[in-house]
Amino acid sequence: MTGPALVYTLCLAASALCAGLLVRAYLRGRSRLLLWTALAFVCFALNNAFLVADMVLFPTVDLWPWRQATAAAGLLVLIYGFIWEAQ
Amino acid sequence: MNASPTTIAFAGGLLTAGYAIAGLFFLRFWTRTRDSLFGVFALAFWLMALNQALPIVMGIPREEQSPAYLLRLLAFLLIIGAVLRKNIGGGSAER
Repeated sequence: MTGPALVYTLCLAASALCAGLLVRAYLRGRSRLLLWTALAFVCFALNNAFLVADMVLFPTVDLWPWRQATAAAGLLVLIYGFIWEAQ
Repeated sequence: MNASPTTIAFAGGLLTAGYAIAGLFFLRFWTRTRDSLFGVFALAFWLMALNQALPIVMGIPREEQSPAYLLRLLAFLLIIGAVLRKNIGGGSAER
């Protein structure tokens, strides 16, 4: 595994853990802000997953649109939550 | 990569702005609560903004082709460090 692939795998693990902790926090507290933040980090974890898939699993397939789309979705959800739900 | 350089630059600029704005929101939360988690998240999201912008500015189509991907690693290390510290330490607002 190359350096960038290893780094992206670490990023995937970190973002997936973060998403899991946020989902767990939302299920405990049911805060809407936590919901949007958890959803955003799920998207960021998907973004890292597509990065790893792009580099390691499917190097001949162009997954760039999926990488960008998942990052954009995460940011849209996060910023929406911050604007509408944060006091 | 099948996307045109214009599309790549547009998408990169969009994401750069998104990460920077998210970082600003986290900064705002930090100034209100003084919880270091938000300060670290602000820094991490600004690193992600830089991670998106640098390859575009340097004319490199994909971030993994330059050292810029290390910014992504640093950002996520900061995020997971802050989250783990929050969950394990159980701390809330810091001094």
